[in-house]
Amino acid sequence: MLFLMKIAWMNSFRNARRTLLAGLAIGIGLAALIFTDGLMIGMSDSIVRIATDTFMGHGQVHAEGFTRTHDLARVVRELPGVLERLKSEPEVERISLRVQTPGMLASPATSGTVLLYGVDPGLERVFSRVDEAIVEGSFLERNDRRKILLGSKLAEALEIGLGDRVVVTAAEAESGELAQEMFRVGGIFHFNVRELDGGVGFAHIETVQRLLGLPGEVHEIAVHFKGFSGNEATDAGFWSRYSQSGNEARSWRELMPQLSAVLDMSGFSSLIVGVILFGVVSLGIVNTLFMSLHERMFEYGVLRAVGTRPGRMAMMILFEAGALSLFSILIGCCIGFVVTFLYSIRGIDYAGIEFAGVTLREMIYPVLRLEQFVLFPTCVFLFTLVAGIYPAVYAARLKPAHAMKTYE
Amino acid sequence: MTGDSVLIEAEGVSKVYRVGEISVSALKSVDLKVVRGEFTAVAGPSGSGKSTLLNILSGLDTPTAGRVSLAGTPISEMSGRVLSDFRRDHIGFIFQAFNLIPVLTVLENIEYILLLQGVSRRARRERVRKMLSTVGLEGMEDRRPPQLSGGQQQRVAVARAMVSRPDLILADEPTANLDSATGGALLDLMRELNESRRMTFLFSSHDRMIMDRAKRLVVLRDGSLVQDVTRSGP
Repeated sequence: MLFLMKIAWMNSFRNARRTLLAGLAIGIGLAALIFTDGLMIGMSDSIVRIATDTFMGHGQVHAEGFTRTHDLARVVRELPGVLERLKSEPEVERISLRVQTPGMLASPATSGTVLLYGVDPGLERVFSRVDEAIVEGSFLERNDRRKILLGSKLAEALEIGLGDRVVVTAAEAESGELAQEMFRVGGIFHFNVRELDGGVGFAHIETVQRLLGLPGEVHEIAVHFKGFSGNEATDAGFWSRYSQSGNEARSWRELMPQLSAVLDMSGFSSLIVGVILFGVVSLGIVNTLFMSLHERMFEYGVLRAVGTRPGRMAMMILFEAGALSLFSILIGCCIGFVVTFLYSIRGIDYAGIEFAGVTLREMIYPVLRLEQFVLFPTCVFLFTLVAGIYPAVYAARLKPAHAMKTYE
Repeated sequence: MTGDSVLIEAEGVSKVYRVGEISVSALKSVDLKVVRGEFTAVAGPSGSGKSTLLNILSGLDTPTAGRVSLAGTPISEMSGRVLSDFRRDHIGFIFQAFNLIPVLTVLENIEYILLLQGVSRRARRERVRKMLSTVGLEGMEDRRPPQLSGGQQQRVAVARAMVSRPDLILADEPTANLDSATGGALLDLMRELNESRRMTFLFSSHDRMIMDRAKRLVVLRDGSLVQDVTRSGP
């Protein structure tokens, strides 16, 4: 067996140029797969990070049914106890408390609808990126009870700017009676996200609680986890622990199912691209092996003539396919590592491009993972062996006299 | 099997090649017996069926009609793995174009068949060295075929054919790619091995040197055996 492997290995390099070209073709395919996977992971991580860091968080706790009904009376149950437990969770890094209500925003010129969030300025500043998105004015301070932050597109639609007065009209949570609060525009933010820039406002939590008649209550506890790796949700136990006593805790995947689905689909797309790539690579391998087979047909005929069994002939071709594969994997892994590593440092500028409703704002950094250098090369190796079956069977069925006569 | 027992027996062997609608009779009902220890040349012009006959006698090809036995075993009915093993154990081949495996050393080329036979490494090496000494290639074990002359390569091919101690050595135009001096020396070597070890050689050739040295001359023409002469002298 070792002898056959030796012959196969050495045969692979008898036509060094052809082997090098075939190895490069397969290797570049593998490198492209490694890089694409790294890019998809980087992009996926980035999208999830943007989606979660911007405002939503990695997960949220609401009263049961709140996200479905938007019934303002459904506030988080047993808030002090829930907060106490969340603070003692080792995986929780930070939280933010929010109330929210749809309302009518009236400016001196016109009026429009707004989704008004009441946020704790101290918690929100470190939790989300609202303060970083301020393009005019400033973020909320602890005592800014009358200040409102508006999205750039909303402000533009209402023809208002910094310092202008606006009135928010909303329904009280329990009674449904209309209530009003007057605010002064203290900041304009721009996330480059349609929904946020065109329909959201932020004000002090206590002011909005008063407007809704919900003193000390919140609709939402947003949670940030330590060491969140982007695409992964935290352990299932966390969500079940906080989905009790009339509350429900959900990860970003459940809160943004459309984004989750798109990311899953992009993973599936990568798989399809990989399969197509491997298919093309396989055809290349079959071609290379057949060229090699026809080039040395007389030799194979002699090997059969002197008593090499058909199975051993097939094995030798498969070993040759394996040798080509190992050589290609070496090339592919080297190219894949170098290219992905370089771009993981330099990054790729995708800023401004919208993907799955999330506008990328930062460089995408492809991610190197061990499985890219284990799983993909293993697939290439297996694909190569499968592709080698056809020429191997062909070699095994060679009639020695025919091989030697036809190709002498 | 006794010293002069029949080694090869071909009865009514015919071979028809079909190319599309056209049929070509390469062999027409050939009967041939080769006794162990013979040094026989199958001669005839190109296209007379020499190579076809050798291929059929060695199990490299199957006859369209007739049967072939080697050492009492009917090989024309064998196929696949059984036939491969039979060839490995009973027949040695020498080809016109040497056909050594260029990526292997001289030693590895010769020991390949022993490896297929499952001979131990130590025994393999010993037999290969003895065989190299017999064909006059001592000290060339580690060279590769491209580093050898044509004559030396053909000697390696002879050693490869003989190392497994087969019943029969088939040589298809073994001197065709050699100059006359080298070809003559090679034939002398094979004749010597035939006489000293009673190995059976069967050649196909239209080389006058081979025909002159053969103890028996079988002549084919248009697929038919037209002459079979056994010489008594050396």
